[in-house]
Amino acid sequence: MRNQRIISSTFLYLLSIIALVAFIFPFVLLIINSFKSNGEILTSPFALPEKLDFSQFIEVYNLMNFGVTFTNSFIVTTLSTFFIVFFSAMAAYHLVRRPSKFNKFFFTVLVASMVIPFQSLMIPLIYIYGAKLQLIDAIPIPLLIIFYLGFGSALSVFMFHGFIKAIPIEVEEAAKIDGCSTLQTFFLIVFPMLKPIAVTISILNVLWIWNDYLLPSLVLNHPDVYTMPVQMKVFNGTYMNNWELLIPAILLTVIPILVMYIIGQRSIINGVMQGSIK
Amino acid sequence: MMKKRKNLGDIGNSALFLGPTLLFFSMTVLLPFAYGLFLTFNKMDTPADPVQFAGLLNYISAINDQEFWKSMWLTVRFVVATVFFVNLVGFGLAYLVTSGLRIQNTLRTAYFTPNLIGGLVLGYIWQFIFVQSLPALGTKLGISWLELGWLGDPTMAFWSLVIVTIWQTSGYMMIIFIAGLISVPKELIEAAKIDGAGPLKRLLNVTLPLMVPSFVVTVFLSLKNAFMVYDLNFALTAGGPYGTTKMVSMHVVNKAFIESNYGTGQAEAIILFIIVAIVTGVQVYTSKKMEVQA
Amino acid sequence: MFHFKSNTGFFKKTAIVGIVTALSLSLAACSGDSDQSASGSKDSKISIIVTNGKGEIDAQFKQTAKDFMAENKDINVQVESVAVGDPMNVFDKLTASGKTVTMAMFSPFDATHKYKEVGMDLSGEKWNEETNDAIKSEDGTIIGFPFAIEGMGLVYNKQVVEKAVGGEFDPYSINTQDKFKELLDKIKSSGVEYPVAYQTEAWSVSNHYSSLFLNQSEDPNTVLKEVTDGKFDYMKNDVWNGYYNTMDILASEEYNKFGKRPTGQYYDAAHVAVGNGDSAILFNGNWAFDSLKALEGSDFGFMPVPVDNDPENPLNNKIIAGPTQALVINKKATEEQQDAAKKFLDWLVYGEAGQDFIVNKSQIISAFKNNPNKVTNPLGIAISDALVENKTLPFSTNYINTGDWTTILGPEVQKYIAKQSSRADLAKAFENYYKSNKE
Repeated sequence: MRNQRIISSTFLYLLSIIALVAFIFPFVLLIINSFKSNGEILTSPFALPEKLDFSQFIEVYNLMNFGVTFTNSFIVTTLSTFFIVFFSAMAAYHLVRRPSKFNKFFFTVLVASMVIPFQSLMIPLIYIYGAKLQLIDAIPIPLLIIFYLGFGSALSVFMFHGFIKAIPIEVEEAAKIDGCSTLQTFFLIVFPMLKPIAVTISILNVLWIWNDYLLPSLVLNHPDVYTMPVQMKVFNGTYMNNWELLIPAILLTVIPILVMYIIGQRSIINGVMQGSIK
Repeated sequence: MMKKRKNLGDIGNSALFLGPTLLFFSMTVLLPFAYGLFLTFNKMDTPADPVQFAGLLNYISAINDQEFWKSMWLTVRFVVATVFFVNLVGFGLAYLVTSGLRIQNTLRTAYFTPNLIGGLVLGYIWQFIFVQSLPALGTKLGISWLELGWLGDPTMAFWSLVIVTIWQTSGYMMIIFIAGLISVPKELIEAAKIDGAGPLKRLLNVTLPLMVPSFVVTVFLSLKNAFMVYDLNFALTAGGPYGTTKMVSMHVVNKAFIESNYGTGQAEAIILFIIVAIVTGVQVYTSKKMEVQA
Repeated sequence: MFHFKSNTGFFKKTAIVGIVTALSLSLAACSGDSDQSASGSKDSKISIIVTNGKGEIDAQFKQTAKDFMAENKDINVQVESVAVGDPMNVFDKLTASGKTVTMAMFSPFDATHKYKEVGMDLSGEKWNEETNDAIKSEDGTIIGFPFAIEGMGLVYNKQVVEKAVGGEFDPYSINTQDKFKELLDKIKSSGVEYPVAYQTEAWSVSNHYSSLFLNQSEDPNTVLKEVTDGKFDYMKNDVWNGYYNTMDILASEEYNKFGKRPTGQYYDAAHVAVGNGDSAILFNGNWAFDSLKALEGSDFGFMPVPVDNDPENPLNNKIIAGPTQALVINKKATEEQQDAAKKFLDWLVYGEAGQDFIVNKSQIISAFKNNPNKVTNPLGIAISDALVENKTLPFSTNYINTGDWTTILGPEVQKYIAKQSSRADLAKAFENYYKSNKE
């Protein structure tokens, strides 16, 4: 019995280490190749670099216009996420507490909209806001944020909705009696209670928006407004086959989100877990 | 009088609380969806042309577009393969990291990492692996099937897409499964143990049935992701070799924005929507039913 | 982001409007200074705007403009380069913002198609005496100054080939398909298992390789006309078939390093293999040197792509070379500006500093016989030598719509290479393409 346990736990360890290697080796491969010259990369991708030379990173940093691109991604991601969380919480609160016919109907529409593929919306989207209203080139970044607010609302409202349903209404009623308006009640009493689910929703939205490519590629047509994935795509097109530049570029694109993950891994994993239960 | 004021206040509150979401949702989802439907019944060679009623013309050309159905069929195969493997691997990982190994938190963190990276960048990373690294390894070790790049062969390119999708998303499914696994009551497992059920039996008869709610979520997510895959497809194979890995999403994008065939492209996008809606609808419905029975 | 079909105009137009707004805002923000100097009305100085389509030589180009201005005090040259990674055309941007670009750099195809209304007649310019590569519009008028020459053919590794033939190797001695095969066999028996490393990127097999057949008439436009009119019978054309016979050799399991699975992304692998001598031959242009030189110490050259067994056939004895960037002077510029631009062109051809800029500083192969400088890149040297010895054919890629060819015909050629379609299928694909796109 004891032996069997040891064997089975050794087996589990072995399996998990194999999986670990499979999940980590692409990152290791990128890091070791980011310091090499093109020739070394192509002839021996698995060898360790001879020296730690950061000059390619500096070159790529400049070529990618990293400061501007990172700022664009940062602005789009944080503003979109902030407003999604804020507006969705308010909407979900209203939908739960005021179950009028219209509100019930709207909630159903929101939930149902989650099965609409983005591909079914993108052509009219570009058609309306590009060709007809000419907004895509006038205000690309604000427009992109507005699009994220629209596309992000369904899932976020849905998740807040489930969470708010479980909050007892008595607290709010007490606040009302004390003379709080609906708005005050929401911000002073309800919103603080939503923190766990708000964290979850923020994480999901940040991961999605930071990495999204197709929508920004349709909206952002000028280098000054590129986000990281769009810049990466253009960079890949320009320096096709030039791996000594491409690999550092990939790393520079990935590092910000990895840093965020290393700092907040516990809340990120817990956040995703929370989200799935609802 | 009183009542009226209260109503007004209600409307004000509604506008305040629901207004922003209603506005942005309508702008980006409802309006384009309705307008998109409208456009499919009209002729739209260039957006500058006046709108001209065209009946079902766009749908007819979509239905006659063999490339579209080819890409749809490829997407369906991709969906089947990824939904199966992503859930299998995801569940396996969840099982591993809840089985009491001392390093399980580290493992969990590591397995989740690929989710942080978008499909586009992942595509470039794995292109480097499939095109440069594995062939170099194959040459060095004399493994002939590794020597030539994977993306040059239609079948291997397809499986490359599947492998990267598994690698990217199974960590996410793992987290959802962990949430399900830790909510399985310990007593039930112990009871089964006392009844003499082996580990496999316990897994099949006790744990899995209780995991159905998790599977509803993971299958839904993996289905939807697989049907809509674009970024990875674009960055890893770009539809190649010779157009054999062009998924439906890429077909629609190309149809509209490269071939400038907006009408047919949008009609195909609507057909895609209908298929996705039916498949996910059926999936959620049947699995909810299973959940009740279990 | 997407390479929208150039003739739709939809996205272009919306893009342009946006840019105009953005530019007019930014112009309003800074003083009107730059604007005025560009239109050149203020003082006696003539101001011209020149666009540079080769972003990689931005610094050199700006320096040369400075040198030119130092010699010509009455002219002010403003250089606008394509930003690296920017898909938008500088010319469109500037024009949309209300400026007049005096001289623009276009690809020859764009100069004679998309922007055919832009270029003025340059037939009377003196520099025409020094070059055969000026860009002609459809009616034969010279409208483009050949800025950069590039060439392509079969790139070979000198050391490997010389070892196989046992001594000095003359690339032009391989002027029939049989001799080519013989050479491949020699290389094979010298111990190189796969003499060819054939990379099959869509742009290479379509834009470059599949346009070669246009050179069967002295002016590629003659054949092109038959093709676009739908009168060209591919299957009955010996040259068209001949090039695919040669392609069959290049892609074959017998000679090709990747022959077992010929359509992969082998650009890097092929160049590394030829660069370090694991293979000897690949098909590409002089820009391939950047990828080859990753491996040090070897020397390289070009040989013609053989199309049949007639040693007298010029196609078998010449490599492909021609202008890939052209400078065009805008009809809409003022006469003074046009004259200033012409002066700048003369300076590039006849001025010592101008000649130095093109060849030594920018490593570009000059289209002009009088330029005494030589590039240091061995593939570039091979091309400039061929130009001097009159061993070149027109750069056939200049005659086709490369965007469409890559996306539409590229996969068709790859399918043929992978033996997923027959040559008749391939001919059909070309036919269908030209049936639906009359350009």
